[in-house]
Amino acid sequence: MDKNEILTRVKGVVSAVLKTESSEITDDANFIFDLGADSMQSVELVAGFEEEFDIEMDQDRALEVQTIGDAVNFISEYV
Amino acid sequence: MEDLQKLRQKNLETIFNPKSIAIVGTNKVKGTVPHDILDNILKADFNGIVYPVSPREKSIKGIKAYKYVVDVPDDIDLAILVFPSSVCHMALEQCGQKGIKSVIIISAGYKEVGEAGLKREQQLIEIARKYDMSFIGPNCLGVINTFPDTRLDASFAREMPARGNIGFLSQSGALCTAVLDYASAKHIGFSKFISFGNKADISEIDLLFYLMNDEETKVILMYLEEVSDGQALMDAAREVIEKSGKPILILKSGRTNEGASAAASHTGSLAGSDEVCDAGFEQAGIIRCDNIEEMFNRARAFAYQPPPASEKVAIITNAGGPGVLTTDAAISRGLKLAKFSEETTAILKKALPATANINNPVDVIGDARSDRYLAAIQAAFDDEDVAGVFVILTPQSMTDIDTIAADVARIAEGQTKPIYTSFMGEKDVASGIDILQRANIPHYILPESMCDSYNAVYHFNKHVKSKAHQLPALDNIQEGLARNIMAKVHVNGRTYIPEVETIDLLQSYGLPVPQGKLASSPEEAVKIADKIGYPVVMKVVSDDIIHKSDAKGIELNLGSPAEVKDAWERIHTNVKSAMPEASITGLYVVRMITGSEEIILGIKRDPSFGPVLLFGLGGIFVEIFKDVSFGVAPLSREDAMNMLQQTRAYKILQGARGQNPRDMDSIVDALLRLGQLAVDFPEIEELDINPLFVMDEGRGSVIGDARMILAKTE
Repeated sequence: MDKNEILTRVKGVVSAVLKTESSEITDDANFIFDLGADSMQSVELVAGFEEEFDIEMDQDRALEVQTIGDAVNFISEYV
Repeated sequence: MEDLQKLRQKNLETIFNPKSIAIVGTNKVKGTVPHDILDNILKADFNGIVYPVSPREKSIKGIKAYKYVVDVPDDIDLAILVFPSSVCHMALEQCGQKGIKSVIIISAGYKEVGEAGLKREQQLIEIARKYDMSFIGPNCLGVINTFPDTRLDASFAREMPARGNIGFLSQSGALCTAVLDYASAKHIGFSKFISFGNKADISEIDLLFYLMNDEETKVILMYLEEVSDGQALMDAAREVIEKSGKPILILKSGRTNEGASAAASHTGSLAGSDEVCDAGFEQAGIIRCDNIEEMFNRARAFAYQPPPASEKVAIITNAGGPGVLTTDAAISRGLKLAKFSEETTAILKKALPATANINNPVDVIGDARSDRYLAAIQAAFDDEDVAGVFVILTPQSMTDIDTIAADVARIAEGQTKPIYTSFMGEKDVASGIDILQRANIPHYILPESMCDSYNAVYHFNKHVKSKAHQLPALDNIQEGLARNIMAKVHVNGRTYIPEVETIDLLQSYGLPVPQGKLASSPEEAVKIADKIGYPVVMKVVSDDIIHKSDAKGIELNLGSPAEVKDAWERIHTNVKSAMPEASITGLYVVRMITGSEEIILGIKRDPSFGPVLLFGLGGIFVEIFKDVSFGVAPLSREDAMNMLQQTRAYKILQGARGQNPRDMDSIVDALLRLGQLAVDFPEIEELDINPLFVMDEGRGSVIGDARMILAKTE
């Protein structure tokens, strides 16, 4: 799976969980600072990515991911 | 550094009195910190403008929200950051770009969580420096200012306290909420209430200086978990007390002696960090409290009543037993019962029944109602010998508790003498106590606390406020010579420095060293003894031997050349059998001192207070009796004298049991010189003078033995 496809699907998950327009989500947007995710939503995002990509991520490392770009790189390690 | 302090004072003014605030990272979720901070600011009727900043919300609580702080179109005085620590630095950077200079960082997840958190904290400091910003926190509860023109509750406490004249600073946020709850029940108000958390930028010292100039604050209270720079805290406290006359009460947790037992010298093992903290606080005029109750008991006395002019009190009670208890408590704390004038006793005789006790303590008798209390209190206030009035009440069936409380409050108004109360009991007196507390009349459950609080105020006003910290000028200090000696002894990573070299160093600072010399042969020892005069003492000199008497390396009272030669052989045999590995440099021959008192003086380096001095009863019993006192160097003459007076040894030195008084001036002089040495040579980790022989008054003192431990060099 190439990174562009991962990016598109990541944005889809983020848009669904944070109820944000996909167009508002830039590649370097920070989940908390730019998109306003709270701690509960951060957990929901990890669960959303796991379901979307059918993977199981290391929770501690996954919660350290801060931006959309970080998430794409991190997920690409699993798929 | 001074500029940074000035900047912080300027920015603190805006932290406490902002015209506009951005709450950065707030949200709509009730019961969370980001939400409750905004909620509290609004509930407190803040007098300025509030801007919620939230990446997701268009508005919060009907107020337009901004995505980023840089989006706010107006100028902002104060930013309160409530984002998680992972992104707080980004928010702080934007605050800098926006030109905001004053910030409170509530978020946790910094130094307190370990290495990664410490790095994040460092990052905040770097950003703050870049933009000339100052911040309180991180990891704090926030800041409250009750001043009516501001009314700022930038905290997540449950409720805003009433306005008052007590400024409270706390390193612990959780303790703040407990204190607010406690204070609220007792109707205690605050001028400023500050949780300073990890004090990464603005510290308790900056806040002390701020409160020094704050007209709303009369008394400063502080809860501290660690003293990171004891000397700076002492300097700041001295300046605050001297310039403003405001008392500083500190509750410092952590009374442990960790690490002291591993120390190699007497001074090291006797000077635990808590004793040092006690000594440092006392020297600086800080009133250390053991618990919250004690701190507020004293604080109320300082905050609500005029200071007493003397230690003489009048006790007015409706019960004999409590009157005696109060008298005991007063006398044991150094207070005195005032002696009423004839005029006062005449007034009391007229106003009270024949069975009443019209002398101090005045017993208005169990069936007394308010009129008798009022008459007795007024008579006491009017008596010249009375400096303060204690009102004791026990609830009898006919006691009109609430009326008496209200009347006490009324009669206290406008008085120049303080009045304290103790309504003894719990349930029946509760409403009366409430009336007193609402009227700012200090009330104490126990007469002991009442007397302790009176004494704290009296002592502070009489002795501490006026105390000048003047360092004495010392003559005969040869710092250059001392540096040469130190360079010589500090070679090859040596850390333990035995007697002869330590004494050389002490001599260069004008300390009284014994007549004596190092001998490398029995013949040389005899020659030295002949020169200095008999009797002499001979002691082994070795880098490997710390406790000479344990190795039987000392011989006393040697009266002739033959005795010197015999002792030479015995010492060598003893030491070889006790410590076969020890290398012997020679034997130190000194004139024997008789008819003196033995004391110990020492230096120890404390991680937060720096050089600390010790004084105590000397000789081989020093660690058994532990009759010692401490002082943080450099000392004033008064500090050094206080160190002497704090010990039981002081009585012995004064000349107990028919002995002559000893030369205490020479001890004070030695302490002052030792303090200067400790300040000038930070490499001295520990130094013991044990014993110092103190002769009769006017005849000086002489060092009996000394040794020193230096810091390891890299």
